[in-house]
Amino acid sequence: MRPAAFEYHKATSLEHALTLLQEFGEDGRPLAGGQSLVPMMNLRLARPGHLVDINGLGLDSIEERGDVLHIGALVRHQRYFDDPIIARRLPAFLEAVHWIGHPTIRRHGTLGGSISHADPTAELPAICVLYDAQILVASTAGERRIAAADFFANAYVTTLEPGEMVTGVEFPFPPENNSGAFLEQAERRGDFALAAIGVSINHDTSTITSASIVCAGARLVPTRAPEVEAALVGRALSAPEARAAGTQFSENINPVGDHAASADYRRGLIAELTTRAIERACEKAREHS
Amino acid sequence: MNGENPRQIGARVQRFEDTRLLTGSARYIDDIRLPNMLHLTIARSQMAHGKIVEIDTSMLEDSDFPTWVFTGEDTRGLALRAHQDYPEMQYSEQPLLALDTVRFVGDPVAAVLAEDPYLAEDAAELVFVDIDPLPVVATMDQARDSTVPPIFEGWKNNTFIERQMKGGDLEAARQAAAHVIKRTYRNQRQTGVPMECRGVVAHFNDADRVLTVWSSTQMPHLVRTYIAEELDLPESRIRVIAPDVGGGFGIKGQVFGEEVLVAWLALKTGRPVKWIEDRREHLIASIHARDHEHTLEAYVAADGTVLGLKADISVDVGAYSTYPFTAAGDPGMAAKVLPGPYTIGAYEATFRALASNKCPLGTYRGVARPSAVFSQERLMDEIAREIGMDPFEFRLKNIIRDFPYKNVLGFTYDPGSYAESLEKMQALLADDIAAASASKQSKDKRIGVGFACFIEQTAHGTPDFTRRRVPIETGYVAARVEMNPDGEVVIGLGLQSHGQGHETVMAQVAADALGIDPANVFVRHGDTLTSPYSVGTWGSRGGPLGGGAVHMASLQIADKLKAIAGHLLQAEAGDIILADGKAALANDPSRSIEIRKLARAALRNLDQVPEGMTPGLVAEFSLDGPKDGTYANAVHAAVVEIDVPTSKLTLKRFVVVEDCGTILNPMIVDGQVRGGVVQGIGSALLEHFVYDSEGQPLTTSFADYLMPLAPEIPDVEVHHIETPTPLTPLGAKGLGEGGAIGPAAAIANAVSDALGTEVASTPLNASAIWDLSAHLRSA
Amino acid sequence: MSDITLTVNGTKRTVSVESRRLLADVLRTEFDLAGVHIGCAHGACGCCTVDLDGQPRLSCLTFAVQCDGATINTVESLGGKQAEHPLQQAFKSEHGLQCGYCTPGFIMTLAPYVDEMVGRGEMPSDADIREAMSGNICRCTGYQGIVAAVRKAISDQIGKETTP
Repeated sequence: MRPAAFEYHKATSLEHALTLLQEFGEDGRPLAGGQSLVPMMNLRLARPGHLVDINGLGLDSIEERGDVLHIGALVRHQRYFDDPIIARRLPAFLEAVHWIGHPTIRRHGTLGGSISHADPTAELPAICVLYDAQILVASTAGERRIAAADFFANAYVTTLEPGEMVTGVEFPFPPENNSGAFLEQAERRGDFALAAIGVSINHDTSTITSASIVCAGARLVPTRAPEVEAALVGRALSAPEARAAGTQFSENINPVGDHAASADYRRGLIAELTTRAIERACEKAREHS
Repeated sequence: MNGENPRQIGARVQRFEDTRLLTGSARYIDDIRLPNMLHLTIARSQMAHGKIVEIDTSMLEDSDFPTWVFTGEDTRGLALRAHQDYPEMQYSEQPLLALDTVRFVGDPVAAVLAEDPYLAEDAAELVFVDIDPLPVVATMDQARDSTVPPIFEGWKNNTFIERQMKGGDLEAARQAAAHVIKRTYRNQRQTGVPMECRGVVAHFNDADRVLTVWSSTQMPHLVRTYIAEELDLPESRIRVIAPDVGGGFGIKGQVFGEEVLVAWLALKTGRPVKWIEDRREHLIASIHARDHEHTLEAYVAADGTVLGLKADISVDVGAYSTYPFTAAGDPGMAAKVLPGPYTIGAYEATFRALASNKCPLGTYRGVARPSAVFSQERLMDEIAREIGMDPFEFRLKNIIRDFPYKNVLGFTYDPGSYAESLEKMQALLADDIAAASASKQSKDKRIGVGFACFIEQTAHGTPDFTRRRVPIETGYVAARVEMNPDGEVVIGLGLQSHGQGHETVMAQVAADALGIDPANVFVRHGDTLTSPYSVGTWGSRGGPLGGGAVHMASLQIADKLKAIAGHLLQAEAGDIILADGKAALANDPSRSIEIRKLARAALRNLDQVPEGMTPGLVAEFSLDGPKDGTYANAVHAAVVEIDVPTSKLTLKRFVVVEDCGTILNPMIVDGQVRGGVVQGIGSALLEHFVYDSEGQPLTTSFADYLMPLAPEIPDVEVHHIETPTPLTPLGAKGLGEGGAIGPAAAIANAVSDALGTEVASTPLNASAIWDLSAHLRSA
Repeated sequence: MSDITLTVNGTKRTVSVESRRLLADVLRTEFDLAGVHIGCAHGACGCCTVDLDGQPRLSCLTFAVQCDGATINTVESLGGKQAEHPLQQAFKSEHGLQCGYCTPGFIMTLAPYVDEMVGRGEMPSDADIREAMSGNICRCTGYQGIVAAVRKAISDQIGKETTP
């Protein structure tokens, strides 16, 4: 369990990194925190011929840019805990971070790495989908942005083209009256989620005005619940009929079954976690209002 | 019994081995580096069952670094053989490298060497193995199906062995029964997962013509003998060293083909050879454990007396019999121990070892007893429920109280505290039982209390192995104790310590017998050159037999010291007491002489010793275990909280009441118990080695094979009762395995209590809890 | 092969390494630091944790070539040959280790945590301590002795048992 040979390139600038990635194409991979890629390399399940180390490139700011929060690809998970904007404006995001791995992994793992790895059970891809984030992607051909919903193509597969890398993610700020929650169940803290549910609701003083719900772990990519989200609109914060929403989501989503959890269990878990996450988000909303 | 002046035995002495382990000064197998060393990667079968069509190594010739490659043709005739001397046993041999057929994913196919471990791994990828698939035996049902072709040529079915054990009149018990309760219980396949993988280094020294083999093993002498026999070398020219070993738990308590293979490769290449197993390899191809299915039928009188028990035991032992405990080890042990701590008068067990295309099964902490206790204690709860008795009262009615007790199979139990332990646990759980009862009002949040009462045969002696006709017919531990002229003591111990703290405990034992400080005792172990022949560390025999052997050998030296002291102090040897580094007159402590002066006299100033005394201060004692072993007992209890809608189980409390006889070092005893319990919690809730229907392993990394992590585990409360056994010199019983034996049963009983439903299998992961709680959701 | 300069346990040295060599292997072979243990080589057990530029880091998920210019400390540097660091002492007194294989990883993960708590003058809850070690697997102790060792190392330094 040691990696196959590769060539290491320390990128000195973003342009340098992109030039190298362009040159290597399918055979090149950016190296950031290494918490997802290096295990795959050690198991020889991934064997890039070239690693482009992007750790020195900055890309590590969390900043308000008008109506979006921009998070650089190299921001490490641990930082979200202390970020006041995320806590205030993207509450489901902050709750999700608590479920990511373990302290050492959170200290080194990056946003760009996590979403590029596209583990179907991972928290941050689900959060990107939940908040309709835009994935900022660069290559020598220029920059493009990919809606999170279009970024995750399959388990461990994204729509990144060879030569492209994630430089950051833009999270559009929800309106001020927003609440959210993220609940997960795993066998142990930090394990692959058996199912995880993120909820973000916009509200006025007493009712839900719009909602987003996402599920990780049930399908090959993070999955939204458009019908359920629509049905929540106009419901009272004090009685969101969360149970019905949870049931509806679980019936629509058709989760996978595997050796870790049966499809039946995942369905039930999705119903319950969705119910609880909606209730929790509404309860937090009532506290704010 | 504990020496004349016990002060170290029973004391919470901090461990001498810790300093090197805490500072990076310890040396484990991967730390053995020799000049000119070759590194081995083993190319293993990726198919569960098939005929080898071709092994093409030609691509290695094109590699730009030197490589060496060997296949089954090169090692033909060399194999792992683990046969019991039973006429009905169907024998399996596992060639060091596969010949013709592969029988599980992980079966060794080719040995590839290079001068660097990374390069050896690169080279192994260049070996092309073409295998024609054969039908796979992937389940116990397939293995029991007589129409499924056997995985070995010449076998009549896929059963290594099927035998019976019986005692008492089962038919009479059946006739007299008011209740007949029959259940089937299953425990999943798992493994032991020491944090250090296996590894072997071998080197033949042309100068002294000694083959030195370093191995991360629990049994260096048995490894030496096996290598000697297989490679036809004199044992005197083989030295096996177990360096610091990073955990074993029984997994490293077998002789492995790789140990022979690496030795053979060192001889073949004339260079030192090193093999360090990687984690995936460890998970798929070292040793698996459990994988039991028991169907039990209990015959119970109207008053709740269990009159008889019938058992049918199947264990899927995988593709090959393992050495030295063989394919029959697990099923035979289950059959032997199922009568447990109860006065069951009639018993009959049929047990079988089934072959499948999976990793071989071997010993892992508890060996079959976690499964036997799971079945026995689940059944006891079900009987109690069916006849309307409290589970404590029901067990107390059937518990053995008079000792020594000869059980239904003829095994004699030495004194224990079975009833007292149950009563103590009952008192400890009173509040939890009330809370659990109250929680039954809720459909969402349930609390459950479960417990398991069990005994554990430990430190069993030669007759127990002779009965089983396994390749080794003994279970003794030897110790050589030598005092140097400066009064410092060196112990050559036939055990191998991989976390048990032998370097401390054995020093405590010797210190008491010799009247010196444990810090003046250097315990050496795990090296066949410095330790007398012994079977190694397994079967919960370190304390009772290792400690006993050290004690007995030390007493021989103490006698000699007393004789010299008596001579010099002009007193009777019998009036001398050894304590605090001095030999003193019992009735006049002012008349004394330092022990180190006695040592000097015995070894260098022989004019000072009594006339006719032989020179030297060295003694060796080999201590065999008691005929039927000595029986430790314990009650384990779990309190669980289940969030029914999500199936989230939280272990709120885990309590142990245990009796391992005389406690040699309470800190180490508690550590062993707690560590065992947490492994048992893993067995109960998490750990599952999964194969698909083609025999492909699905849980080949720590992302999928889940062991307990700190946040999920509560503190483990340990309470002791000490009933010293008359059967070992210090009164100690074994305790290393016991912690792992009770948790699956206790937790399953707690889950059953919480949910008000029967639990018949493990692991009780979230998905299993979901299935078990269906009735609470639909209601 | 690349030349990299590392300051390891206080000594600066330049070594030539192949790109794919894991930091864990380079520390073990080039720097002769046997206290760096590899338990899984896929970032899931914490055995290989070392201190890299002031933070615990899994040396099996780090290529040595990435560490050019870095300062690395391993268990060998923590409390000398006599294990004098308060956390090492506490591991001993609280029986926080048995076979010792996972121990350097736990120590290197938890020593900064202990320092942080001591700096704050705070005794964390057992749940917090367990979370801090949730990336490390110990198969021998059942974790209880390790939790006790962390508590003891903190309380010995802040002179109190619990947070006011």
